[in-house]
Amino acid sequence: MLARLTRLLGPRHFDLAEDAVQDAMCAALETWKFHGIPRAPEAWLMRAAQNRAIDLVRANRRSQNLLKKLALDPTAGRAAEPSTADLQSTAPHDDCLMLMFSCCNPRLATNAQLALILKALCGFSLDEIAAAFFVIPSAIEKRITRAKACLKRSGSLFNLGNPRQVVARLGTVHQALYLLFNEGYHSLRADAPVRDELCGEAIRLAQLLTADLATRVPATDALLAMMYFNLARLAGRVDEEGVFLALPQQDRTRWDQQLIALGFRYLDASATGWQLHRFHLEAAIAAEHCRAPSLAETDWRRILELYDLLDATAPSPIVGLNRAIARGQVDGPAAGLGALAKLADAPLARTYPFFYAAVAEFSLALGEHQAAIDAFEHAHAVARSPAERCFYDRKLRQISRRLTSA
Amino acid sequence: MADFLYLYRGSERVNAALSPQQMQEYLQRFQGWIASLTKAGKISSCGPLAAGGRTVNGPTAEVSDGPYAEAKDLVGGYTVLSASDFDEATEIARGCPFLNVGGIVEIRSVLSVK
Repeated sequence: MLARLTRLLGPRHFDLAEDAVQDAMCAALETWKFHGIPRAPEAWLMRAAQNRAIDLVRANRRSQNLLKKLALDPTAGRAAEPSTADLQSTAPHDDCLMLMFSCCNPRLATNAQLALILKALCGFSLDEIAAAFFVIPSAIEKRITRAKACLKRSGSLFNLGNPRQVVARLGTVHQALYLLFNEGYHSLRADAPVRDELCGEAIRLAQLLTADLATRVPATDALLAMMYFNLARLAGRVDEEGVFLALPQQDRTRWDQQLIALGFRYLDASATGWQLHRFHLEAAIAAEHCRAPSLAETDWRRILELYDLLDATAPSPIVGLNRAIARGQVDGPAAGLGALAKLADAPLARTYPFFYAAVAEFSLALGEHQAAIDAFEHAHAVARSPAERCFYDRKLRQISRRLTSA
Repeated sequence: MADFLYLYRGSERVNAALSPQQMQEYLQRFQGWIASLTKAGKISSCGPLAAGGRTVNGPTAEVSDGPYAEAKDLVGGYTVLSASDFDEATEIARGCPFLNVGGIVEIRSVLSVK
């Protein structure tokens, strides 16, 4: 909706479009909470946002030009009865992609571009963006304000017809889709630890990228491969109560073989060109998990090699953590704990629950119950969602049961 | 039974802080709350108030824009409902989902001629 309004008004009036959408959402919420949801809520909202934009333009006596732009749109003009046909006649998908590229203005830092995309186009809250970047929400707010000012100054929307510029901005768009997918795959929302609609949207947008020669680079295929491999395992990640399941507890028969096949198809397609992108490596790691018929038959040595490569090309605290876990699977829990200990000073290690969960699992494998309990309790303390807390609660109960029965 | 007026204050502030997902949840909870009170025959009228408005002031009937621009939490909606006394009206208001998202419910008793 924002993408479409911005296209109509031009990015200089991104604020206006955003205000109009926000006001429309609030008006909808206020009206619907008393009187129920109308039959075509999306059309109602788009209409309300357009009307609100017209009001805002009038109130501020901005250029007549803008009013004309709104009037030129066949669906504009005030009317009481909106129809969904109006909305379907346009191509909002392309709007979304175009605005994503527009947000990737090279004058902005990559993180600012990403924050803007996630906030404006993916509907993330400040908290969710902050969690994705491991920073505090107020820092994200500042980033977004600056990014918006920049987008406004740029004046015109990005032209998708310019291949060189498309390629220059593609990396950030990839990254945004990656984060969008991740939030779906491991959501911090209380009520929904897994949000497949976000994963679906990320895949849809990535597929739009493969439809164009300029954007169908090997990394796009690798990104899609990784998404399909992970999506295939999404259903197995939580139990009926919405609590996460660790890899050993997952029922592999629930993994979607059709999606895994799609993943391999994109992985094959990505194996071209001279550049080894980190998406290639991440897709290859996910592929190894999908290929393994059971946890015991997983080729951890290969996974460790891939993590070593990933650590060399695109090091991150998360990669470091996963590499340590793979090391433990290959060389035993003591080696895993040793690798984790090297990470303990990183700022992430103190706030990331999976770090403590990994310490706990390896301690448990060594029979060090008290160390495992301490680590799980720590993980519980820094857990970011009820689903995560519940997961660690269960672990702690299992250990205490084992101890009392022994 | 007496009539009470609920004034929902702070909708603008509250709504701006909600993510689309939170909006949806809140919307459903509020609808459910209104529906249950309507079913119980408690509500005689309710609805949202549009942002902005006009005020007409004093003997000169001077017209100005915006309701009480100095008030921080504007009234975004109202409900007129009947309850046996102020305590019951308060108890019902305490169940209002608007509170969970950080809103304020102001309760006023409507004076009757009796």
